[in-house]
Amino acid sequence: MAIRNLWRSYERGSETVHALAEFDLTVQPGEMVGIVGRSGSGKTTLLNQIGCLDRPTTGQVIIAGTDVTALPERELVAFRRDHIGFIFQLFYLLPTLSVAENVGMPMLFARAHDRERVRAICERVGLADQMTALPGSLDGGDMQRVAIARALVNDPALLLADEPTGRLERQARDEVLDIFDDLRADGLAIVMATHDLEQAARCGRVIELRDGRRLEHAYEDSWPKAHCAT
Amino acid sequence: MSLTRLAIKSLLLRPARTLLTIVSVAASVAVLFSLLSFNSGYQEGLQKQMQQMGVHLMVVPIGCPYEAASLVLEGGEIENYLNESVAEEIAGMEGVAIAAPSLMHAIVRPEDGRTDIYLGVDEKHLELKNWWRLNDGEKPGPGLLSEDDAVLLGWDAALIEKREAIGERIWVPEIESEFSVTGILEPTGTQDDGFFYVPLRTAQEQFGLEGKITAVQVRLTDPSMAAEVADALDARFAGVEIIRMEELLGSMTALMDSARALIFAIVAVVIAISGVGVLNTMLMSVFERTREIGVLRATGAGRLHIFSLVWTETLALTVIGGVTGLGLAAVAARGVEAVIKRFVPMAPQEAMTRFDPHAALICVLAILGVGLVAGIYPSLRAAQIRTIEALRSE
Repeated sequence: MAIRNLWRSYERGSETVHALAEFDLTVQPGEMVGIVGRSGSGKTTLLNQIGCLDRPTTGQVIIAGTDVTALPERELVAFRRDHIGFIFQLFYLLPTLSVAENVGMPMLFARAHDRERVRAICERVGLADQMTALPGSLDGGDMQRVAIARALVNDPALLLADEPTGRLERQARDEVLDIFDDLRADGLAIVMATHDLEQAARCGRVIELRDGRRLEHAYEDSWPKAHCAT
Repeated sequence: MSLTRLAIKSLLLRPARTLLTIVSVAASVAVLFSLLSFNSGYQEGLQKQMQQMGVHLMVVPIGCPYEAASLVLEGGEIENYLNESVAEEIAGMEGVAIAAPSLMHAIVRPEDGRTDIYLGVDEKHLELKNWWRLNDGEKPGPGLLSEDDAVLLGWDAALIEKREAIGERIWVPEIESEFSVTGILEPTGTQDDGFFYVPLRTAQEQFGLEGKITAVQVRLTDPSMAAEVADALDARFAGVEIIRMEELLGSMTALMDSARALIFAIVAVVIAISGVGVLNTMLMSVFERTREIGVLRATGAGRLHIFSLVWTETLALTVIGGVTGLGLAAVAARGVEAVIKRFVPMAPQEAMTRFDPHAALICVLAILGVGLVAGIYPSLRAAQIRTIEALRSE
């Protein structure tokens, strides 16, 4: 995944606000990149651009060789469905659907429902025994596992996670990050926005955003250790 | 999992609102189905009653028949009669199924405040009134009028005469004759109930009118040929008046048309209210589920998927409500009928609301139409929601 000179600007009255400016980033398969920064620094805006949920003002987002900024709406939807998985802080599960149904939902839109695939993904994230359970009966960690399984069910090339452990207890948070480590080891590219410094420390690389711009750190690749040490 | 299943599960997310909407749709469909079924039964009932009148044409001596009737009731003499042979000739004409002669005569008893109308008839009259039943449930046969002194009593005539048993004798001092009751008719709700039916020959002899009759009642093989047969009768017989029942039929048909127009106006209002209710429910649902729609978009749903999902939910609501409404209507049919009968004119006494497959089909199509139309706007609104704004919403 490559981002080149990405800008996302909004008009606020007579003022132009740059939520993202001059942003460049490349993420390789099997790499987990952490995006850190204060609230309003542009983390979610960046994820929305990468995830094809919003279009940039200028610049390019290239995923799996495709410039998604040039895709028409219909193709963009299909591309997002087939190549990108999303995980949200608040899980966003549908309460009346079982675990298996929540996990299989993206396949419904792809018209490629595959029960075996759903079962395999559920087993992979440790939900094999809870496939018929409703989300309301699960704890936060398990709900985030369901959200991870849902994000993975269409076998994406890129996983985007927006504060995925923000609402979890420490043990559940570590379990989620363990799953991310496994996925990364299998070649999945992960971009994770987080406030949590310890969580960021488990990423291979960390990008810090401030006012929509990427801060240049000499220690970017070793940022977690340096940052945690302070 | 299918989109339909997802739609139904989404409806279950807010069970109270879903239930209330289904109840409102069900009530609308129940009213719609009841009205349509009643309308159908009402028309059928009226037509049946008209058919039961059994007479498509009446041939009477020239002169105003109403004046003649009045004269009879006052005990006066009608100056003009038909010859009995006219009935036989009419019976032989093309298009005539039955030609039943009758001779009417009234015996006025002012001291008792009553007028007994004796109607001389033959077996053809019983054939004409084939829906008549005796009070023991049997169909009256020609044997009832085979004896010269036989009298068949209408229900009201029997009450006035205080006769209940077969074989009882009735003495008529005015003509110094005695009759033997051979049967009592079940009430018909028509003027037939008040008559004393005696053999035509007896009436002619007793009232001194041998070979004379006052009317020939005609049933046609095809009622739609009434105009043609009336013209033929008019051309063939001089000094007769042909009364066509079409005028009466026309009035009743106009009455039915008015009732139908009223019913369809009510139906249109019911459908509109139902549609607005469903539209409101789905719009509220879309507003409340903005973030859920954002999640669906983020996990791969296109605008068309969202449109289809909300539309399917609307259809599911209306179809479930519709089927429930049909069931309700079937259960509550008698009660609804009793209420409706108060508001429509000339409602037949028999049960008119019945399960009418055509009415059910119309209801299903109408409610599907309501669902399709009412679902369009909320579905479009849902499909137009921007994903990132939806994900940000509370």
